[in-house]
Amino acid sequence: MQAVLEDFLKAVRSHDITVSSAESIEAGHTFELIGYENREILKYALSATLAKNLEERESFSKCFDGFFSFESFKERTEHAEEEKQIAQELAEYQGDSELVKMMLAKDQVALSNKMKQAAREVGITDIWFFTQKGIYSQKIMKEMGSAQIGEEIAALSGGTCPTAAAQANQLRQVRKALQGEVQNFVEQQLAIYGANTNKRLREEFLTNARLSNVERRDFHRMHEIVRKMAKRLSDTYSKKRKQTQRGQLDFRKTMRKNVAYDGVPFETFWRTKNVDKPKIVAICDVSGSVSDYSRFLLLFLYSLKDVLSRIDSFAFSGSLVEVNTIFDDYAVEQAIEVALKEGGGSSTDYGQTFMDLKRDRLENANNLLNIDNKTSVIILGDARNNYGDPRTDILKLVFQRAKRVIWLNPEPVIAWNTGDSEMDKYRPYCHLVSECSTIKQLNNMIDDMLKVSFG
Amino acid sequence: MKNMYDHRFQSVEEIQQEFEAGGYICSKEIATCLYIAFNLQKPMMVEGPAGVGKTEMAKTTAEILGVPLVRLQCYEGLDESKALYEWKYGKQLLYTQLLKEKLNDFMGDAETMEESMAVLHSKEDLFFSEDFLEPRPLFKALKEKAGCVLLIDEVDKSDHEFEAFLLEILSEFQVSIPEIGTLSADVKPFVFLTSNNNREMSDALKRRCLHLNVPYPEPDLERRILNSRVPELRDNLQQNLVDFIHKIREMDLKKAPSISETIDWARVLVLLHAEELDKEFVETTLNTVLKFEDDIEAVNEQLESLLESVHSAA
Repeated sequence: MQAVLEDFLKAVRSHDITVSSAESIEAGHTFELIGYENREILKYALSATLAKNLEERESFSKCFDGFFSFESFKERTEHAEEEKQIAQELAEYQGDSELVKMMLAKDQVALSNKMKQAAREVGITDIWFFTQKGIYSQKIMKEMGSAQIGEEIAALSGGTCPTAAAQANQLRQVRKALQGEVQNFVEQQLAIYGANTNKRLREEFLTNARLSNVERRDFHRMHEIVRKMAKRLSDTYSKKRKQTQRGQLDFRKTMRKNVAYDGVPFETFWRTKNVDKPKIVAICDVSGSVSDYSRFLLLFLYSLKDVLSRIDSFAFSGSLVEVNTIFDDYAVEQAIEVALKEGGGSSTDYGQTFMDLKRDRLENANNLLNIDNKTSVIILGDARNNYGDPRTDILKLVFQRAKRVIWLNPEPVIAWNTGDSEMDKYRPYCHLVSECSTIKQLNNMIDDMLKVSFG
Repeated sequence: MKNMYDHRFQSVEEIQQEFEAGGYICSKEIATCLYIAFNLQKPMMVEGPAGVGKTEMAKTTAEILGVPLVRLQCYEGLDESKALYEWKYGKQLLYTQLLKEKLNDFMGDAETMEESMAVLHSKEDLFFSEDFLEPRPLFKALKEKAGCVLLIDEVDKSDHEFEAFLLEILSEFQVSIPEIGTLSADVKPFVFLTSNNNREMSDALKRRCLHLNVPYPEPDLERRILNSRVPELRDNLQQNLVDFIHKIREMDLKKAPSISETIDWARVLVLLHAEELDKEFVETTLNTVLKFEDDIEAVNEQLESLLESVHSAA
């Protein structure tokens, strides 16, 4: 019982459900209380103890079914003829391998138990990759005593006696059948214990890969990763926090509340300050060379809607295009596609873009939209201006007004300022210039930014 | 001393039967969760959309166990003084005012400062005794001699600070009151926490609870619930009603109708002596089921095809 539970918890953990040791004790109690008899009830019960949200419930259900549904070896039928045949085969067999006897007798329960025992001996629960299938099958076979069969086959096939040869043949068949069962078993175990290793490895790789190297078929997975990261950030920062201003008594409130006590200040109230959500103006270069990066920045910003009271997003290549309405109207993936299409298409012109920005966000008639000292400005682009006028004077204006100006450049630092890249001209007017080429860097950047904004 | 854990549930089926007798039809999953939560004495976190009977479950449990239900409604800004206890400042003040006159007699022949202080010290605990304590739900729950069902409703609406405070109570079932000492429960209350998934609860809190997700019920279960709650409703009407509700739930609505709405609607049907679920009736009473204007419009648009498919299925 103990061993089964341990294995099961291991399987559950491999399905991305965290099980603390306190929870495993809990699961043990549940096992004791419910017992094995009713599988349906056991499933509900363990699910209640171990799975903590909807996602986990689903993977738990899958894991449970996989773990407890395991059936192997053909069941012995009650046919008289087959019984006779089995008895005959058993009588003919002269070796003394227990294993062969079990196989011939088609003793399902004993075989299955023996296999599970052998599997535990060789530590099947550590199986992770499909490449390990062969070695584990071999180990289990050996543990079950297949070596003895081999010896017997060798001894029988040495001579010329036809019955011996026939018997050797039969033994070979028995061994083959056994091998089939073991392989099948190992495959199932792999599905249970190695379920998410591949996915995990792939995700780790994608998090650290340069975004330009991410292949199109991985985009879906990338979206998921970004969403996860954004959710984490959003959980951390989404609550509008109140900060107590230390030592400042809210005199009016205190008096008001203590009138009932004759003006004796029993209860005191302190001044608090609401911490504002940060305002962000994001300007993304969506020309062909960097659109892969902007896609993920936009995705990130879109997913952070809870945290950011207003994401003011622009896309540009030749000129600045506002994409806020697109963000409001479409679902995330579609919104990004549309934004990329609207903004892209012409050759990059930073000068024109900054002039547009000046018109829209520095001298806008609606003062609320303008960049002010609460705004963080993120520019994502490679600063390759096709030798046009960089208009650094406007960026300087932005720099003076905004809380922070952050420039994220997807190119490696070594490529900055080569050719038509104007990075050095822009650099003095940014609070932070950083290379940003992987999802992880992007995540860290935004994390830092939110940290600063929330103070 | 008799306590609520004397009432033994022997099996999951028994729970199902007892709850059914109490007017709460529960699926096997719910019954299983109740069974282990009760026997392991663990708090139970119930999640699901509004109106699927999360609160009702706690009420029924209290009825069956024959213990009081103590309810704590969570909201933003809920703190210890509202959830656990508060000193009755007013009463304390009033008493001091009244006793002012008596002060001289009371002090008696204490001449020096030291003697007066000693006299005061011997009495000071009087003002911080349970007489001056205003018990709030959590305090009440811990004090119940025979145990109780403690319902912490909509825990997801509370602040992080309160959640952390709950941790202490849920794991130890004791609280410390600085002026009095530690108060611990004689009999652990049977705790239900409900959540509408407004926000993700912290891992620490999740770890201490059993988790139950109550979805919208399957048609069969919903019919059984209707049977027990609105037995006057005729069979064919009941069938149509449940089918119709299930059709609406599949639509993309702001707030899909849950069981409580189904029951309300069934009662309306009975009250108005409706013979069948026809267009006119649905149009006039749809507002019992749907709570948003947009939703009502969306359903009205497809009303005919919806009704048709419901009637043809029956």
